[in-house]
Amino acid sequence: MAYAVEITDVHKRFKAVHALRGLSLHIERGITYGLLGPNGAGKTTLIRIMLGLLPPDSGEVRVLGTRMPNKAVLRRLGYMPQQAALYDDLTVRQNIEFFAVVGGLNGDVRRAADEAIALVDLSERATSRVRELSGGMKQRCSLACALVHQPEVLLLDEPTVGVDPQLRVQFWQHFRHLNEQGVTLIVSSHVMDEAERCDRLGFIRGGLLLAEGTASELRQRAGTATLEEAFLQFAEEAAAGSQLPVASL
Amino acid sequence: MSTKRILTLARRVIQQLAADRRTVALILIVPLVVMTVAGILIRAESSPISIGIVMNDEGAVIPLGSRAVNLGQNLSDNLGGLNDSFRVEVMDAETARARLDAGDLDAVISLPADFSAQAVQTRELNIPVEYEGSNPMTARLLEGMLTRAAVQTLAGLTLIGGLDLTTPPVHLQATYRYGSADFDTMDYLAPVFIGLFVFLFVFILTSVAFLRERSAGTLERLQATPIRRAEIVTGYMLGFALFALAQSLIILGYTIWGLNVHYTGSLAVIFVVEFLLALMAVNLGIFFSTFARNEFQVVQFIPLVIVTQILLSGALWPIKDMPAWLQPVAWLMPLTHANRALRDVMIKGFDLAQIAPFVLALAAFAAVFVALAAQTVRRGAGA
Ligand SMILES: Nc1ncnc2c1ncn2[C@@H]1O[C@H](COP(=O)(O)OP(=O)(O)O)[C@@H](O)[C@H]1O
Ligand SMILES: [Mg+2]
Repeated sequence: MAYAVEITDVHKRFKAVHALRGLSLHIERGITYGLLGPNGAGKTTLIRIMLGLLPPDSGEVRVLGTRMPNKAVLRRLGYMPQQAALYDDLTVRQNIEFFAVVGGLNGDVRRAADEAIALVDLSERATSRVRELSGGMKQRCSLACALVHQPEVLLLDEPTVGVDPQLRVQFWQHFRHLNEQGVTLIVSSHVMDEAERCDRLGFIRGGLLLAEGTASELRQRAGTATLEEAFLQFAEEAAAGSQLPVASL
Repeated sequence: MSTKRILTLARRVIQQLAADRRTVALILIVPLVVMTVAGILIRAESSPISIGIVMNDEGAVIPLGSRAVNLGQNLSDNLGGLNDSFRVEVMDAETARARLDAGDLDAVISLPADFSAQAVQTRELNIPVEYEGSNPMTARLLEGMLTRAAVQTLAGLTLIGGLDLTTPPVHLQATYRYGSADFDTMDYLAPVFIGLFVFLFVFILTSVAFLRERSAGTLERLQATPIRRAEIVTGYMLGFALFALAQSLIILGYTIWGLNVHYTGSLAVIFVVEFLLALMAVNLGIFFSTFARNEFQVVQFIPLVIVTQILLSGALWPIKDMPAWLQPVAWLMPLTHANRALRDVMIKGFDLAQIAPFVLALAAFAAVFVALAAQTVRRGAGA
């Protein structure tokens, strides 16, 4: 049971859009896994299916060995949505403490909140209302809400969008630190330069997994110098196989 | 001022509206619904005022000419003949009491055995009348009519003979089953307001709060935690119910001590009703928030959910005056039951057992709305 997430042949349709088309993916525990793909690739849909927020049309999703959807497993998962989903009228601390309790934290809520606030470097703004924060601060508060209950698997949907480069470096340092503690991170992104930091990557496009492996493996297999070129290479191959148009990033 | 810019902006406003099909539909249809209901109610004939007469009058003999008269009978006949909008029934004292208690009669006139004899002797007409009293307007109307009937009765007597031509005085000895002579229309309407405000505000607050929860993505975030749907709904109910009770306390206090509205019932019973109303409103709000994409659309539910309900809830037009087919619809409105319960408590001083049917109906509505709300929470932001 070394896998944090096992996805087998998952399909999901939204009326006209076929968002996931038979996607299979296995993610080991304790690593940072990058879901890479352009807008509309199906990353958010995939993450929501992993959490059991959306039922797949077909296929199987297991998280930490349990078939989803499953409420009990959610205690061990953390989710940072693509939009900073926070209560604007509450303060940073109130938001974080709320999600600590709702997330099922055992133990001292205040202390856990303090740690999470320090982790995202918001100690000075802990009593500010979320409405008054800048975009990057909201993003940090949102991250704190996702990890305050000390989950084993963290699903982060484009966590670094709108975050300045300096803070982005900090985020990745946290992620590494969490990995060392045995936490699995699943991070979606459409920015290729972030991909280098992940232990493993999945290239997603048009609801399909194009390729999967470490950054250097992927470059090697595609025979390209950069990940960006590798992605385009895989997209072209896939397009040749099916009728998909060539990827544009 | 640039005409081009203004026109472009106007066009954008229209495009936005037109893109929002539901808004357009609501704008076009809701006024028609509300006006139809209002029209039916305004044009409905009000049901007749019911008077029970307990007839014990044994009549009397007028000394001059030795003619036998029964003034009680004459009064009863005159009342019945006055106006189509009166229904006069003669009944025994027990029936009269029971039907007055039940609000089935608007007034009872009990004529004693010596009613005629007294009148002949004292040359005064003393009419003991007990009003039901819940609706002060009915009592006022009755008062006028009764005096007219009495004057007619006496006029008849004068014609029959004996008495001098000056009309003897008429005294209405009025008592009130519920309420009192100082009750005015505000006393009749205040209980309705008290229920309405709680319902209205809690409904609006919950729909907007829940809508935000959906659009901000926090609902989805909640759904990604172990919290259960029932827990979310219950948490919302608890939070808003406490808020609603605080609001009720202020409204009630101001109504009773600030506006000097009479109230006879127990505050605790009023709060039970208010609490149930708040629970219903929370769940109805959660339910309707599913159908709204923005605050704008929530506002449009108000005429539909609130105004129609006010019209049909018996707040202004009694339900028994509505067309027969509309009455069941009226009883399908939660506010109808709340209004009855609150009026019964505040005006009649009923206790919880006496308003149990309405309280149970409110609890049943609340249960149905909880189930509806819990179902709609399942449906996430975009699923
Ligand atoms: N709730 C939804 N209703 C309809 N279509 C949706 C919904 N969610 C996602 N989609 C569609 O599914 C596809 C994948 O979307 P998404 O998973 O959000 O992509 P990504 O996160 O990679 O940008 C897109 O074409 C999007 O329009
Ligand atoms: Mg996305």
